[in-house]
Amino acid sequence: MAAAATTRIEVLEGGIETTVQDYPGRTGMLRQGLFPAGPMDHFAFRAANLLVGNPLGTAALESTLGGLGLRFAGAAVIAVCGAEAETTLDGEPVPLWESRAVKAGSEFRIGISAGPGFRQYVAVSGGIDVPPFFGSRSTYTMGGLGGLDGRSLQPGDSLPLGSEGDGGAAGRRLVQEARPAYAREWQIETVRGPQASPDYLTEADMKTFFSRSWSVDKNSNRTGIRLEPHKFEWARKGGGISGGHPSNILDNSYPVGAININGDLPVILGPDGPTAGGFVVAGTIAHVGFWKLGQLRPVGDTIRFRELNVEEAVQQDREMDERLTAASLEDA
Amino acid sequence: MYRHAGERTLLLEYGQMDLDLTLNFFVLAVDGALAAGDVKGVVEVAPGFRSILIRYDPAQISARDLLTELRTVHEELPPQEDIEIPSRRISLPVALDDTTSRRAVKRYIDGIRDDAPNCEGGNNLDYMVRYNGLADRDDLLASVIGTEQWNGFMGFFPGLPFMFPMDPRYVVSVPKYNPTRTWTAEGALGLGGPCFAIYPVESPGGYQLLGRTLRIFDLERRNEGFGDSPFLLRPGDRISFYPVEEAELEANWERIEAGEYAYEIEDSPFDVGAYLEWLPKVADEAAERRRRAEAAWAATPVP
Repeated sequence: MAAAATTRIEVLEGGIETTVQDYPGRTGMLRQGLFPAGPMDHFAFRAANLLVGNPLGTAALESTLGGLGLRFAGAAVIAVCGAEAETTLDGEPVPLWESRAVKAGSEFRIGISAGPGFRQYVAVSGGIDVPPFFGSRSTYTMGGLGGLDGRSLQPGDSLPLGSEGDGGAAGRRLVQEARPAYAREWQIETVRGPQASPDYLTEADMKTFFSRSWSVDKNSNRTGIRLEPHKFEWARKGGGISGGHPSNILDNSYPVGAININGDLPVILGPDGPTAGGFVVAGTIAHVGFWKLGQLRPVGDTIRFRELNVEEAVQQDREMDERLTAASLEDA
Repeated sequence: MYRHAGERTLLLEYGQMDLDLTLNFFVLAVDGALAAGDVKGVVEVAPGFRSILIRYDPAQISARDLLTELRTVHEELPPQEDIEIPSRRISLPVALDDTTSRRAVKRYIDGIRDDAPNCEGGNNLDYMVRYNGLADRDDLLASVIGTEQWNGFMGFFPGLPFMFPMDPRYVVSVPKYNPTRTWTAEGALGLGGPCFAIYPVESPGGYQLLGRTLRIFDLERRNEGFGDSPFLLRPGDRISFYPVEEAELEANWERIEAGEYAYEIEDSPFDVGAYLEWLPKVADEAAERRRRAEAAWAATPVP
């Protein structure tokens, strides 16, 4: 099929929060206080692009919970991956993890997801062609930059489509074995540290940290997933000059996916989160597990951190990449 | 020493956890060397006060090989006393205990925690005075304005400076919020540990609130001082604060909104050698103050 002609999408309903994202997002701005942004669930995002024939990092839409409505000005191929929701094209149900042809004038809608999972990704052949900002099309709403005018989509918005990829083919789907399992109780791959035992926390408490279940707080979003307070057992008395509480350190930069101990409260730093600060980071979500953060439902979902060492985290991430190739596609 | 921060990031730490600015000068030198050289597999680098965070691509380089490369970078650095760091002197007004700071504390008490010792009286200032064994708010203000603040690095949200007192006789320190706030005003001036920060956007936050200063992040670069960058401040800048009434601060914000405010900025390279020579002259006084502060820290409840 020829490359998609330049065309547009009109936003009928913006939903709870829909933003343009690309992958891996904005690189090189960490030193100015910008995390990469980008999709919170990088697996569903990349799978959607794979299905429509785009390079896996091409700009696409991230919908939180659903409620999205779009009208296509021209023909294209689309795919939706992520949390189950009633998804329709011109009133006909559209299965997730599958590519579909869209005609000029077609209306596409996602209902509100009842879970499990929390976000859907809509990729369109050619990609969403908003202007890149600091090297990325990803929306970062707190900084008011990237995506469409640095904000989430509203009715009446018009999104230009690009000419990435090969134009895509309708009627392809991701094989069942390659699809991730969604749950209400999650196990998330995590590497210990940088500030764990023995310097900051006791080994006994790190064992508890990796064995107990944590519930996801209502104040969770793209900046961070708040968990529940925990009486941490500290390996040191206080923070000295860096603040009296033992969770306090002299400020440093954080990795994306840091499990940041804010006093007694762990917060997992999301793709729009704070890049630096003065709290201990007990563990870091491995890239292979990071996508699950995008599918956690605030209030109700629980997580356990499953410990991997660095080598295991690299290996499992490579295996995940291997699932995101044409070999995982079949005719629907 | 180094610590793993996931399988794609390393955190290198230097020296002990103390307020020693020479550690930060070293960090900025390493940061400059890493930015200039091209170490294979390094995706990006972000400094901290006494550390550097290095994002790398494990498909291109293993953590072990990266550490070997980094050792070479460290060995090739010039001696510290020979370093001159590009720097500017910047003056900013601050209104202590302003309306937005009190609003942030009130929201916290109403919505997150109502028994935090740092929020007693609906502000964080009284706690900062008490925690450091100071006489009163004027004494606290004297500590804030008595020294230039060294912008050691940037981060958190876009363009936030992590600033540390250059004169050790004026150090104040305070624990951070527990748990953190979900709202802080743009332009808020906070203190966490010994570190001052200006909040660049409305955001969550963990620092105790002193008051409010001016806009430091502006994508439209409406005012003189931003030049071609949306970030007013840079690492290595020396910032000093002077007190104003809230009404005057608000008038300045109105000028900023109108694009008519001229920030007070002056180029002034920083001579590390001269600073290192001066430091011992105030060491005794600084140590005495630290002893008094530590006694107060021990006697004050932590949030």
